[in-house]
Amino acid sequence: MSRLPALIGRRLWQLLPIIIFATFVVFSLLQLVPGDPAVTLAGDYASKERIEEIRKLYGLDQPLIVQYGVWLLHAVKGDLGKSLLSSAPVIELIAQRLPNTILIATYSLIIATLIGVPLGVLAATRVGSRIDTLVTSVASLGVALPSFWLAIILVANLSLGLHLFPATGAKPLLVDPKGALLSATLPAVALAVGVIAELARQVRSALIEVLSSQHYRTLRAKGLSPMSMLWKHGLRNVSVTLLTLLGLQVNRLFSGAVVIEAVFAIPGAGSLVAYSAINKDFPVVQGVVLVLVVIVIAVNLAVDIFNALLDPRAASS
Amino acid sequence: MTKKDMNMIDRRDVMKGTAAVAGALLMPATGWAQAAKRGGTLRVAIPYNPGAIDPMTGRNLTDFDTLYAIFDGLIDFDPKTLDLKPCLAKSWKFSDPKTLVLELVDGVKFHDGTAFDSEVVKFNLDRYKSDPRSNVKADLSTLDSVEVNSPTQVTLKLNRPNAGMPNILTNRVGLMVSPKSIKDAPGGNIDRTAIGTGPFKFVSWQDNDALSVVRNQDYWRKGLPYLDGINFKIINELNTAVRAVVAGEADLAINLQPAQKAVADRSPSVIATASPSLVLFGAFLNYGKPPLDNLKVRQALNHAINRDEINKISAVGLGQPSSAILPKEHWACDAANQNFYKYDPEKAKRLLAEAGHPNGLEIETYGWADQLAMQRQEVIISQLAKVGVKIKLTPLAPQQAVQAYMVEKKGSMFISPSSAYPDPSQLYEALFGKTALRNPSGIELPGFRELLDATMEAQEQDKRKAAFVKLQQFVTEQALQLVQYISPAVSVHSPKVKNHVDSLLSVPKFTETWIDA
Repeated sequence: MSRLPALIGRRLWQLLPIIIFATFVVFSLLQLVPGDPAVTLAGDYASKERIEEIRKLYGLDQPLIVQYGVWLLHAVKGDLGKSLLSSAPVIELIAQRLPNTILIATYSLIIATLIGVPLGVLAATRVGSRIDTLVTSVASLGVALPSFWLAIILVANLSLGLHLFPATGAKPLLVDPKGALLSATLPAVALAVGVIAELARQVRSALIEVLSSQHYRTLRAKGLSPMSMLWKHGLRNVSVTLLTLLGLQVNRLFSGAVVIEAVFAIPGAGSLVAYSAINKDFPVVQGVVLVLVVIVIAVNLAVDIFNALLDPRAASS
Repeated sequence: MTKKDMNMIDRRDVMKGTAAVAGALLMPATGWAQAAKRGGTLRVAIPYNPGAIDPMTGRNLTDFDTLYAIFDGLIDFDPKTLDLKPCLAKSWKFSDPKTLVLELVDGVKFHDGTAFDSEVVKFNLDRYKSDPRSNVKADLSTLDSVEVNSPTQVTLKLNRPNAGMPNILTNRVGLMVSPKSIKDAPGGNIDRTAIGTGPFKFVSWQDNDALSVVRNQDYWRKGLPYLDGINFKIINELNTAVRAVVAGEADLAINLQPAQKAVADRSPSVIATASPSLVLFGAFLNYGKPPLDNLKVRQALNHAINRDEINKISAVGLGQPSSAILPKEHWACDAANQNFYKYDPEKAKRLLAEAGHPNGLEIETYGWADQLAMQRQEVIISQLAKVGVKIKLTPLAPQQAVQAYMVEKKGSMFISPSSAYPDPSQLYEALFGKTALRNPSGIELPGFRELLDATMEAQEQDKRKAAFVKLQQFVTEQALQLVQYISPAVSVHSPKVKNHVDSLLSVPKFTETWIDA
């Protein structure tokens, strides 16, 4: 337990170089993609002279390293700049949109955990049975189903057909909790299906491994009840795998949100970064990447802490 | 043009302007007043985030989804015919081909309470013409200076004749912004907080999410607007926008594609409309370098494509197959030119052989990478392949394709739509002018400039039309573009939305729209 502060300290130290590295890589990749934001800014009415003027006006004629350096210098002072396309402060854009993405991702993760883990346990404890076959087959299907297709099917039936859920949009959770959860349900379900499948498969195989271990066989020989063995020894041993897996799923949910937000017209961070990347609005892309890197690192840190609590050996590794 | 001609024009213009004023004033009291209901907030799904709500720094046609709600133009236009109508300028006349005099409406106030007058017009036009951030300088390239004659009269001095100037004043550079709002804003940047004299006041804008406006209670056109406000919901995915209307979460979705009409037609709870627009689907040709510097090759391409088939596949048959760049509904269009190039693969092969390509040729081409564009491009590629033209296509995101073809001058052809312009002279200049971005050849074919200048020198509309017909003929005969079809403007709305008109320019106005609650 005493190693926990050291673990947190290590992770925090890693944060700075990772942020610099990630934002620089994203910035460089944006520059590698053909296209010039000045062309977008000049718009439908552009002339060649106007494009040149815009390049100078926005500093786009500066060397890449200078552009990145200027951005980083301002970011260190807490100023993430303004969108090239709409002049909106980047920090404001992120503050408006990130909560919607976090809500969908969290909601989705909860649904996936509540369904995926029991399915995995059910299949692992009945290996070779019809239930196992059914769970593994459904899980394979869940992994293969494209979330956008599922989203459209859900909207067509549950929104346009039965009018149970809104077809588009998002509501702020703090202002209208019921409306926010209703709006987020279909996107969360569409996103959750893949995660449910992944969790069920991974929990199943991890649990099968534990259940067939010598240690577990010894416990059974000692006459412990099957339920007690499953809860105290089986699931506890699987929990480290499960936590790591959930941490990885957070990244998956954030990337999956890009498509789902488009289908449901949700103003989230996913659609923001996709729109900005296509239009090479680099201050916005950099800002969102910065925040997402912090979130991913924070989630990984939380996973490490929980793992250390469940398995003290993890803190020293 | 003789002085007598000019005097006749003046009288006609004044008469036309007066009649239009009377019409505009009467309209709320007659046409819709019987049925129009006041109140309600219209929920409109639009596909693109505005570039800015400052008319000067916005950049895309779709910015107008919100601009005309907040701003009035100096001159207004009929959405279906583009005939000019009075607005903040109650009348206008050319006292000579280089002098345009505007008489302004008195007593108009901006949303911030400041007065609109001739000084405001001068301030705005000077700003549009010279501000470093202005994206619309080209619109005022023929404007030399603005003279304030009285609080309600200004004179625009032009550096060369430009009969299209009144049309241009219906667009961005004619939209009047409160000078106080600009002076009060840090750095004069009003990209997100602009203040106009329009029927609605700006309230808020969440990027790529929503923009809302509320009724201007002191609007100078009494009795208007009918709506209490408009909530624009920005939905990039067009099918999602249609679903929002079907689900009752939006009242109207605009700027859709023909395919969405087909989808919406299946739902009995909504009305889908397709009407003519100026948005053109074609391919830009670089006629400054081989192989498209050869007229016969360009003509062969025009004979090789089956426009009806492209229209049926790409626009669900709702577009207007054409080899000319204007729709037949436009006042400057000669419909005869629309069928100038008939589908004739044999003739195309003959022309290619005469041009020295009996075994066909390969053309390096850029295009858009989205699904609809790919579908259209594949049809064109297969049609051209039948006459031996192999298209080497590089599909890219629109901005990247523009960069490659127009800025870096790569390739010889770029399959892309073109935007609409209030005056056709602007469209011809933007497509074929020597310094036009869309003309990477950097050349103007002999005769083009004289014909374009003639359209700006002719004053009466019928004379302008004659000049445009000659220009259109020249552009079509020279096959300067591979026009495929003119796109329809498609929208979907709830039956309770009344008097929404899809304009030829694809720019909506909500002043007289109302909700039958």
